[in-house]
Amino acid sequence: MRFRVRPLSVLTVVAACAVVAIVLLGYHANRPDEAPYSTYVVRPVEETGAVNRVASIYLNYRLFDSVLEVLVFFVAVLGVRHYLGTRERTAVPSLAESEVVRTSSALLFPLAVLLGVYLAALGHLSPGGGFGAGVIVASGALLVSISLGMDAIERRFSLGTIEWVEQGALFLLLAATLLPLAFGRAALTDVLPKGRTGQVVSGGMIPVYNALVGVKVLAGSWLILRSFVRHRGEI
Amino acid sequence: MIARYAVLAMLPVVAFVALTQRRRLAAIIGMGLFSFLLAVAYLQLHAPDVALTEAIIGAALTTAIYVLAIRRTGRLAVVADEAPGLLAREGDRVVGLEHEILERFAKHLGLDLSVELVPYQEVAEQVRRGEADIGAGGLVLPPDVPDLFTRPYLETALFTIGGAETGEGAAPPMVRYDGYFAELEIERLDGAGRPITLDLARFLSVRVPDEAVVRHPERRGYSFVVGQRRSELHTELEAYLDHLRETGELDRLIRRYVV
Repeated sequence: MRFRVRPLSVLTVVAACAVVAIVLLGYHANRPDEAPYSTYVVRPVEETGAVNRVASIYLNYRLFDSVLEVLVFFVAVLGVRHYLGTRERTAVPSLAESEVVRTSSALLFPLAVLLGVYLAALGHLSPGGGFGAGVIVASGALLVSISLGMDAIERRFSLGTIEWVEQGALFLLLAATLLPLAFGRAALTDVLPKGRTGQVVSGGMIPVYNALVGVKVLAGSWLILRSFVRHRGEI
Repeated sequence: MIARYAVLAMLPVVAFVALTQRRRLAAIIGMGLFSFLLAVAYLQLHAPDVALTEAIIGAALTTAIYVLAIRRTGRLAVVADEAPGLLAREGDRVVGLEHEILERFAKHLGLDLSVELVPYQEVAEQVRRGEADIGAGGLVLPPDVPDLFTRPYLETALFTIGGAETGEGAAPPMVRYDGYFAELEIERLDGAGRPITLDLARFLSVRVPDEAVVRHPERRGYSFVVGQRRSELHTELEAYLDHLRETGELDRLIRRYVV
């Protein structure tokens, strides 16, 4: 492999190394003091009821950002479908090369579903969330199509159903963000009770958003993977 | 603390290794390993959410999509019929002079070689249809050389078994037999059936009934065929063969496999 060294590339690499070094040195110098601790660690739990502060930020305080990200993902799926959907091949054989691969791919699917449901359902208590959950289950579906062929999935869930689910989840998500208007509150705020901190049913709307985002991302990622495979005619 | 710095120190090393791999699959696996280490680093920095996303998206999904993507572009697909010494099965492997050349060429391009055995008469056709990148297996040039054959890398001669070719000065002699060479039954062609024409490598490995062999005087050579629309690949293969000739490596390989 030959590298062409340009002065700008060298400068960029040096700058990147400097930033990393400064961050690394600063990490130990900068111990959190009292005020940020109560601001970022104690207050979110009191205000949103979710133990996972990251989830409380992106599904409560900054729900606006997350809704826009879901829309960006939706547009990405539309783009892939638009450019790859025109020339599809019907018969896609499974990747039937090795018995070991086929068997172990099929065995991993239930684990992927379990992990996905866990991440989405408890996203407000522990690390995780709808996005990762959807991608994990979609990857599990890819494993199934490696093992049994893509038709095994499409026989049960037709393309129309999956598209319907994707857009339905998006619609429900947008409707949920507007729901507070009906109660005379600002849009994108939380209307459900916070519940007891640390329980599965707590955190207000955060578990609902996690579930909707999970379904939306599952359907969307599967549509993308499916378009790639169908377009080439082989997995 | 030591573990944290160990992971951080490994990140640029793994990134460099992944970037400098020639084989695409190795580069992709290196990238997946980088994502995995990055996820571990995030975990050590008390960011489990980010670590989880990095592991799911970077290490799992992106790697899977890239592997799917290179399944077609990451391999050099060769179709050939067996020719003893040049490209032949040995157990469940394929060995021979042509196989060695193609394997080195594939490595030179950063691809994985895949060889599929097909009947001799279908090799050029499959390459023309674009179902394979290169046709091999003791291909002997027809006299009117089409553009995308490579220049011969080894001289050979043609032998016709079971009666002469029909007609004086009619169709020029070409390698001609039906089906796979491995399934050819020479003895039964004696007298009956169509005459078959074999190249030197194949001819030497069959047991031929007496008095039925015609040796064609024309000078011929073995070469490879590349699809019509793959002139870039043709240029690369020709250049690589030239490189083997110039360094004397081709002679060494020929002595090892053929003589």
